[in-house]
Amino acid sequence: MASKSVKIRGKVKDGVAKVKVLISHPMETGTRRDADTGDLIPAKYIQEVVYSHNGKAVMTAYWGTSVSKNPYSAFTLKSATVGDMVGVSWSDNTGASGENEIPLK
Amino acid sequence: MFRFPNLAWPKRILMALALAVLLASSGLIAKPKPAGHYGYGKAATAAEIAGWDIDIRPDGRGLPDASGSVEDGEMLYEDQCAACHGSFGEGVGRYPVLAGGEGTLTEARPEKTVGSFWAHTSTLFDYIRRAMPFTQPSSLSAEDTYAITAYVLYLNDLVEDDFVLSKETFAEVAKLPNHGNFTPDPRPDVDAKRCMKNCKDPASVRITSEPTILAEEVAEDTPVKAASPQEQGAEVYNGACAVCHNQGVAGAPKLGDKADWEKRLSAGEETLIKHAIEGFQGQSGFMPAKGGRMDLSDTAVAEAVKFMLAESIN
Repeated sequence: MASKSVKIRGKVKDGVAKVKVLISHPMETGTRRDADTGDLIPAKYIQEVVYSHNGKAVMTAYWGTSVSKNPYSAFTLKSATVGDMVGVSWSDNTGASGENEIPLK
Repeated sequence: MFRFPNLAWPKRILMALALAVLLASSGLIAKPKPAGHYGYGKAATAAEIAGWDIDIRPDGRGLPDASGSVEDGEMLYEDQCAACHGSFGEGVGRYPVLAGGEGTLTEARPEKTVGSFWAHTSTLFDYIRRAMPFTQPSSLSAEDTYAITAYVLYLNDLVEDDFVLSKETFAEVAKLPNHGNFTPDPRPDVDAKRCMKNCKDPASVRITSEPTILAEEVAEDTPVKAASPQEQGAEVYNGACAVCHNQGVAGAPKLGDKADWEKRLSAGEETLIKHAIEGFQGQSGFMPAKGGRMDLSDTAVAEAVKFMLAESIN
């Protein structure tokens, strides 16, 4: 099974979905040094995360270097029903990006 | 010819018999004991043994007849596991991380998870069954254990989301990705060969010498130098006396406290040594015989006392 950079779990209860998201990303600040060579490790961090509900962006987050490695985020979504598609996409300062979309349970 | 020595006997026998019947009916007299036992305990029944015999081999031997799907596992995991291990196995707070960490084993801070480090799925199943959930160990049914095991494998991207783990499908996932990096340790537990015939009489076997390899190495590397009495004293002091005498615990005279030691030395070195060996109740505290170290020889204790005097007064 191919590992995706974004994992999403979403569950609906009483019309409100609780969605949890885990993004696999190193989130390098650019100020950390390699322990062996002493060279700076180049910065690589997520700058923008877009959370969508049935294809429509419902929340956009602008992140910086203070966010931890493999960031975890969770939110609740109103007027959600089982089967609705919830998507998350991210892009980082190096131009890399990732996305995933799952149906709510 | 048999006759009762006196008339009291039949009465006694009758009473004894009556008592025996009473005891037997009330269950106070034990049933006949099986030969070769100490008279207590009983043979374990097959059901009792089955209750304990729950280990699972790496190849899946010992697995219960049941199955569990990733789908069922997700619900169980969210209910029972996610509070600590996180919805994605990322670990909440300092609770163990279950998934991820692939390729980090050579880094300064390796992340050891089921997917990145563990060798066998049997360990995962067995551990969940025995020890999880943390607050209610051994509470999961065989089906639930299968389902949660399957889900943890899914969290590690080792199986698809429609996977069903059972005794039959276990073989597909028995070995985890890092399995090949574990190697058997070929060193034998002991060097002794088992004797099967013409063996020595066990009663005649004696230890005749110290381990020869050690003795030879010492002889070759460093000329054997007997420790001087002072060195012996220091060694004994560090091993046995320092616990109290370094800090003055329980009224013990501290090492280096010249005034205190000189006061005590006025009684004479011999007296001090005698007190140390036999124990002594003094004004400031109590010296247990040999400081409680009865394995030490009198000479060793004496050397330790001399060492302490020398260190404190000179």
